[in-house]
Amino acid sequence: MLTQAQFLEPLARRRTDQIVVSTMSLVRAWGRLSKHEFDFAFADSAMGHAQSLALGIALAQPQRRVICLNGDGSMLMSLGALVTIAQCRARNLLVFVAQNNTYEVTGNQNIPGAGAVEFHHVARACGFPEAFHFADAREYETHLDELLHLQGPVLVSVRLEPGAEPPPNRRQTEDTPYLRGSLAESAHRLREALHRDESN
Amino acid sequence: MLTTRRVLETFKQIGITHVVGLPDNSTAALFHELADDPDIYLITVTREGEAFATAAGLWIGGARPLVVIQNTGLLESGDALRGTLMRMRIPVVCLVSYRGYKTLPNPMPPLTPDELSRRDVDSVAVLLEPTLRAWALPYDIITDNAELEKIINAQQRAIANHFPNFIVIAETIR
Repeated sequence: MLTQAQFLEPLARRRTDQIVVSTMSLVRAWGRLSKHEFDFAFADSAMGHAQSLALGIALAQPQRRVICLNGDGSMLMSLGALVTIAQCRARNLLVFVAQNNTYEVTGNQNIPGAGAVEFHHVARACGFPEAFHFADAREYETHLDELLHLQGPVLVSVRLEPGAEPPPNRRQTEDTPYLRGSLAESAHRLREALHRDESN
Repeated sequence: MLTTRRVLETFKQIGITHVVGLPDNSTAALFHELADDPDIYLITVTREGEAFATAAGLWIGGARPLVVIQNTGLLESGDALRGTLMRMRIPVVCLVSYRGYKTLPNPMPPLTPDELSRRDVDSVAVLLEPTLRAWALPYDIITDNAELEKIINAQQRAIANHFPNFIVIAETIR
C-alpha cells in the first residue's frame, strides 16, 4: 500500500506540461506539490464527474496529455464514464484512481464494495487498451515514466492508505493557489492559459 | 416540422464542434446523422451527467460543444449541471427533448401528488419547465424549423452571460 506522498510526489517530479485535473482528497495534496497554470481543482463542483471533465479537455486538446487524479468513491459514482472514455479513444488521457476504499473527506466511511472492486479490470472490460494496478510504491515509481507516455486511454489504480484530508474548499485563505478563486474563475483561467499557450 | 438537415445547419452556423448527449425517440434521427457528420464530433454518453461535465471540459479546452438530452435525463443529472456548466459559468447550449409534451393538460395543472401520478399525463413533462425556471435556466421552446433561430439566440445569450442556455425540443426531429 502507498501513502498519498508516495503516489503524488513521483508524479509531481515527472510532470511537465500535462493538464492535471484533481478532485476530492487529492486536491489540496496535489496543490501542495504543484503550482502549474495547467492544474485544475475539480472542487466545489459535482462529485463523480472529474473524469468526464478531463475527457472533454483531452478531446479538445489532443496535442496535450491530460491526467485526472480521481478518487475511488468518485469513480464509482460514474463507472459508465469509463465506457464513454474508451469509446472516444482519448489517447492522451490518463485516469488515476486513488483507491483508499473510503470516502476520505467525509471521515473515511467505507465506499460500496470496499476492497472488492478492481478498477483496472473494470476499465479493461469497458474497452481501455491499458489499465494497471499498483500496491507497491517502488513498483509504481519504476513504471511511472512508461505510464505517462503510453497511448491511452490509460487507467491506473493505486492502492493508498486512508488519509485524513478534509473537504476541499475555495477560500482566499487556502495555501494552495488553485483553490483561492471560484470554480468559474478557475475554469476560465485554465481555458485562457491553454489558449495563450497555443498562441505562443 | 423540425428536420435533421436544418438543425445540423444551425449547429454549424454557430460553430458547434462537438455534440455530447444521449438520444431518445425524438432526437434519434439527429444522432444518426451526427454519427457520420464530418464536421461535428459526436460523443454519446452513458448517463446525462457525463454530458454536462464533458461539455465543460470541451469548452475549457477551447471547443464549442452542445448538449442534447431528454427531459428525463435533465432531472437525472441535476447536480452535474449545477456543479459544472452552471457553477463554472460555461456558455453551452443544451437541447432538451420534451417527452410527454403532447400529454400536457391545458391549462397546466398544479404540482400536486395526484396530478403528478395521473396515468394520462407524463409527469416529466409537467416538471420540465418549472424545473428550468426554478434553476434560473433560460430556455426557449421550438417545434418547427422556422424557430431554429432560437438556437442561435440561445448561443448568443449563453456567451453574453457566461451561462448555459436551454432549448426545449417539443417536436420529433425528422
